[in-house]
Amino acid sequence: MAMTMEDRIIAILSEQCGAEDGEIGGDTELFEEGLLDSFGVIQLLVSLEEAFGIALEISDLSRSEISTPMKIAALLREAQR
Amino acid sequence: MLVLEKLRQYAGASRVALVNREKRLTYRQLEERSGAFAAWLLDHLGEDRSPVVIYGEKETDFLCCMLGALKSGRAYVPIDRSVPRERAAMILEAVQPRVAVDFGGLGAQGSALVLDAVSLEEILSAPARPIPSDCWVQGQDTAYLLFTSGSTGAPKGVVVTAANLEAFCRGVLPWYAGQEGGVVLNQVSYSFDVSGCAVYAGLSCGMTLFCVDKQMTREFRELFQALGDSGLTLWVSTPSFAELCAQSRQFDAALLPGVRQFLFCGEVLTHTLCEELAVRFPGARVVNTYGPTEATVLVTAVEVTEAMRRSERSIPIGAPIAGVQLRLEGEEGGAGELVILGPSVGPGYFGRPDLTARSFFTDPATGLRGYRTGDLCFEREDLYYYQGRADNQLKLDGFRVEVEDVEANLQKLPNVSRAAVVPVWSGGKVQYLAAFLLLKEPDGLSSLKRAIQLKKQAAAYLPDYMIPRKLFAVESFPLNVNGKVDKKALARRLEVEGR
Repeated sequence: MAMTMEDRIIAILSEQCGAEDGEIGGDTELFEEGLLDSFGVIQLLVSLEEAFGIALEISDLSRSEISTPMKIAALLREAQR
Repeated sequence: MLVLEKLRQYAGASRVALVNREKRLTYRQLEERSGAFAAWLLDHLGEDRSPVVIYGEKETDFLCCMLGALKSGRAYVPIDRSVPRERAAMILEAVQPRVAVDFGGLGAQGSALVLDAVSLEEILSAPARPIPSDCWVQGQDTAYLLFTSGSTGAPKGVVVTAANLEAFCRGVLPWYAGQEGGVVLNQVSYSFDVSGCAVYAGLSCGMTLFCVDKQMTREFRELFQALGDSGLTLWVSTPSFAELCAQSRQFDAALLPGVRQFLFCGEVLTHTLCEELAVRFPGARVVNTYGPTEATVLVTAVEVTEAMRRSERSIPIGAPIAGVQLRLEGEEGGAGELVILGPSVGPGYFGRPDLTARSFFTDPATGLRGYRTGDLCFEREDLYYYQGRADNQLKLDGFRVEVEDVEANLQKLPNVSRAAVVPVWSGGKVQYLAAFLLLKEPDGLSSLKRAIQLKKQAAAYLPDYMIPRKLFAVESFPLNVNGKVDKKALARRLEVEGR
């Protein structure tokens, strides 16, 4: 079965945070749970660009727009259009 | 003090001293509000000269309180809000202040009178009364106490006097040539002495302090909007903060057309950042500086040239600024411990004569105060180069961290019996800390859930930047031949597990 964009984002985040399968879900609050900080966001944006070929500018984003894997997926989908 | 004299001098014109989001504070308002705070301290504390604690972040009145304390002849102790209450309480316990200013989050503290925003406003808006300059801190009076990471798990207070600050200003102001009336970045926390480049040097040449607070550095969109409207002429920060900003392609001379100089302090400046800035800000010069808190902000400086950017050698920390003498002791293989001599070297650690005697001395030949930095350096063609530490002290995004401090505080967590912390290096700097923990009893949690729980618990004792990014539970620690925890083996384990 092909992975959805959301699954791929979760896989990237799990690798970055050292999480096991199933620990990060689509609605996991990444900042609240201490999984992402400013430096983590940059690492994530680099990985997303590598995986999807979409460059998100950190200076265009607010935390609330990328606070869960689902929101990140929605943002990427919009950027793809 | 130069800064207080200049403040009085500039108070006549409608010059802006500080911009904090939508708020503006003119030199006149700063003069009046700091004067009102000084008058209140003089009236209420009389002969008692105990330091004034200020707890907050970049609030507009934080600056008024700092300068007000100095005008009243008292030292101030700035504590950033990122310091948890528990740790702040240890500092108050050591300082025993009569008055503490709380911009939110400190709460009741022993016998100190804690001023909240409402009672502070009443004090600061009282009619101005001139404070004669013989009331001000001067000479060997303490101007501020800065608490930094200490190897026992309790913060260690560095004493800096009025004379030290005067020496710093004399030495650094030649690097502010042409900046009079400009705008300087005020992003570095007041509890970190690099902020003195804005507060003491910046105000002394009539500059406007442009505040960037933590909320802005969290929300990059907000930060870049603010920077675009800032009119900055002088960028002062740690290299880490500039590196963070440089992650956006928008960080260039089009965003900040007025910036004529970058001044870096607090940690290693990399070739990569210098190259980036040369491309993005072709008209600005980059100045690298170096200095421990113990010798007041910075003691060396150098303009980074193209030859330095291209050189195999690290970026130099520079040559001594005016008034400072440097020497290398115990040179081995070309590098030795850097020793600083001169009027900017402080008296020592607050209430710790034992620690003071270990690192500070008065040079018998010259009578100058000296400080052994613990930094290994070498000298080539009159420039100094930093090579590393002689002990376990680290710089993490510019913050000074003792590994033992982090370990001691992790051992306070309910289910942790022992902690070993190792730095993770990449690209010539520490990227983050990793902790290996012996648990008292199995917690049955997954590694992620455990890490989340432990980080939340650690936040009660440690500021954010000291909390390890990765936490691993282990069954036992590898030991080296001396029977101590083998940190090198832990670092190797991390290389395997980190993938």
